[in-house]
Amino acid sequence: MTAIPLAHVLMLASILFAIGFMGVIVRKNTLFMLMSLEVMLNAVGVAFIGAGSYWQQADGQVMFILILTLAAAEVAVGLALLIRLQHKYQSLDIDKLNSMQG
Amino acid sequence: MITNMMIQSILPQLIIAFGLVLSMLLIAWQRSQRMIQFLTLIIFIIALVANVPIFTIDAIQVTSLLKVDSYSAFTFMLIGLSGVVVTLLSGKYLRTQTEVHDEYYLLLQLVILGASILVVSDHFASLFLGFELLSIALVGLVGYIREDKYSVETGFKYLILSATASSFMLLGIAFIYSQTGDLSFVYHTGLVSGDLPQASVVLLVGSLLFFIGIAFKLSLVPFHFWTPDVYQGSSTPVTMILATISKVAMFTVLMKYWFSWLSYSEAGLFDHDIFMKLLSIIAMLSMVFGNSLALMQTNIKRLLGYSSIAHMGYILIILMVTSSQSINFAWQSALFYLAAYVLASLSIFTVLIVYSSQNSLAINKSSSTDDDITISDWNGLFWRNKTLACLVILSVLSLAGIPLTMGFIGKFYLLTVATQGELWWLIGALIIGSGIGLFYYLRIIFALFNTETSESSVSENNWKIELPVTNHLFIVVLAVVGLFFGIFPDMVTRLIGSL
Repeated sequence: MTAIPLAHVLMLASILFAIGFMGVIVRKNTLFMLMSLEVMLNAVGVAFIGAGSYWQQADGQVMFILILTLAAAEVAVGLALLIRLQHKYQSLDIDKLNSMQG
Repeated sequence: MITNMMIQSILPQLIIAFGLVLSMLLIAWQRSQRMIQFLTLIIFIIALVANVPIFTIDAIQVTSLLKVDSYSAFTFMLIGLSGVVVTLLSGKYLRTQTEVHDEYYLLLQLVILGASILVVSDHFASLFLGFELLSIALVGLVGYIREDKYSVETGFKYLILSATASSFMLLGIAFIYSQTGDLSFVYHTGLVSGDLPQASVVLLVGSLLFFIGIAFKLSLVPFHFWTPDVYQGSSTPVTMILATISKVAMFTVLMKYWFSWLSYSEAGLFDHDIFMKLLSIIAMLSMVFGNSLALMQTNIKRLLGYSSIAHMGYILIILMVTSSQSINFAWQSALFYLAAYVLASLSIFTVLIVYSSQNSLAINKSSSTDDDITISDWNGLFWRNKTLACLVILSVLSLAGIPLTMGFIGKFYLLTVATQGELWWLIGALIIGSGIGLFYYLRIIFALFNTETSESSVSENNWKIELPVTNHLFIVVLAVVGLFFGIFPDMVTRLIGSL
């Protein structure tokens, strides 16, 4: 069994990250923006796991567990805000949030 | 092996963490806003007292995660003092609301805990934990007041942007880790993988991504779009946290990381010059854009948001120090500048909070808090209340960097650092930026003395602002402290120099 080169893992992680980032920028629906944020965080997780296995250390996996915790906390706050958004504007469109100018 | 010395050096963090648990128990026992506010205040003060002995000890490594030194003790002092001021003023602010606001103080303690972990972190894992404690608690605070017309909008914007920023930072950390095999800031020879020819490129990209994450939080120019909206939309005590605690903690950790990173570039593993060029471009853009965009603002909180962008641009000059001999001086300049910036920001936001709470009492609209204070609202403030106006003048002059204020000495330090490093372009941008800045800072001061007030909004009988004695005392103390350290800056420099 041949090991996967580190460079490939990093490339995969970068591509996933770019997809997630594009999602955050392009999407108008706030629910999809939160999902794209998850994609970004999981891309980082892939990079950490790959690097950890390259160095034969547990550090990468520990960081991944910390990232999972972060993702859960962030989504909890995000969904709470989402419900209030729906309640207030009857819509999840990010373009409704434009009352401040300048 | 954990020694007593180690426990003592992280005592402030431990006290705040313990205080959080106590506060939650208190909430379970009795929900009282006055009690939780008092407890929060006590916790911060005890943590500050426990912080005092750390000023004199040598740098001490507490496991591989944390490293406590006297610089971090000084920044913790700034953070703790801002925490005390925010706690005192939040009570004033939240009293105009009807609910019991226990959670607000819990979130505030979490923010302080995150910031205090950030300033002592010496490892990417502790940096990450501190960063996220700070950011997620701040998202909660930013969207805290539900009835406010901006709260959902501001909260959501801040959540999306800070989550994006932390993903960028994490990807950067993953890239760095993939090449060094070590998550701590300290440089270990021989750990960088030799078999990858592109190692230095990956390191460069990694540290760039990491810097982008921090730059979002410091609101440096290409990443500054959230700043004015979030400053305007969140309640004023929260804006105060954003402007002081979050900025100080982020900049301290950036400096800690950056100066240990210098050894990588000295070992030739990292292309230092490209990164330096990028940093100076970002610094110059922040100075010029931050100040020019502030010119067009009428809302005071938005204006302060743009001015904070410029200030973070100024302080970025310190990262241009490359020789390891001048690192000590760089730390001193950074600490002095941060102290001056924090004091001035605290003062001007205090005035904003006191003014708006007096105003809402006078016009009797206790249910809604309208934070849209524009410069023209302050027309003739000097004739309405002299103490408030004097504090505004003092802090605005300090932000502008006029002599006899701390801001002047801070700018002087930055110029010294810049001339030592022969960074002429940055000095040029600093001078141009300060020149533009003077224009809008002086506009605020002119408004204070303007006698043609628009008295339609304020009826004749409450035209004069009468402050309660405690408010008055608080404002006088802030003004005296600002003036004292402006006239005798060597009190602070001696403290910082002895670190």
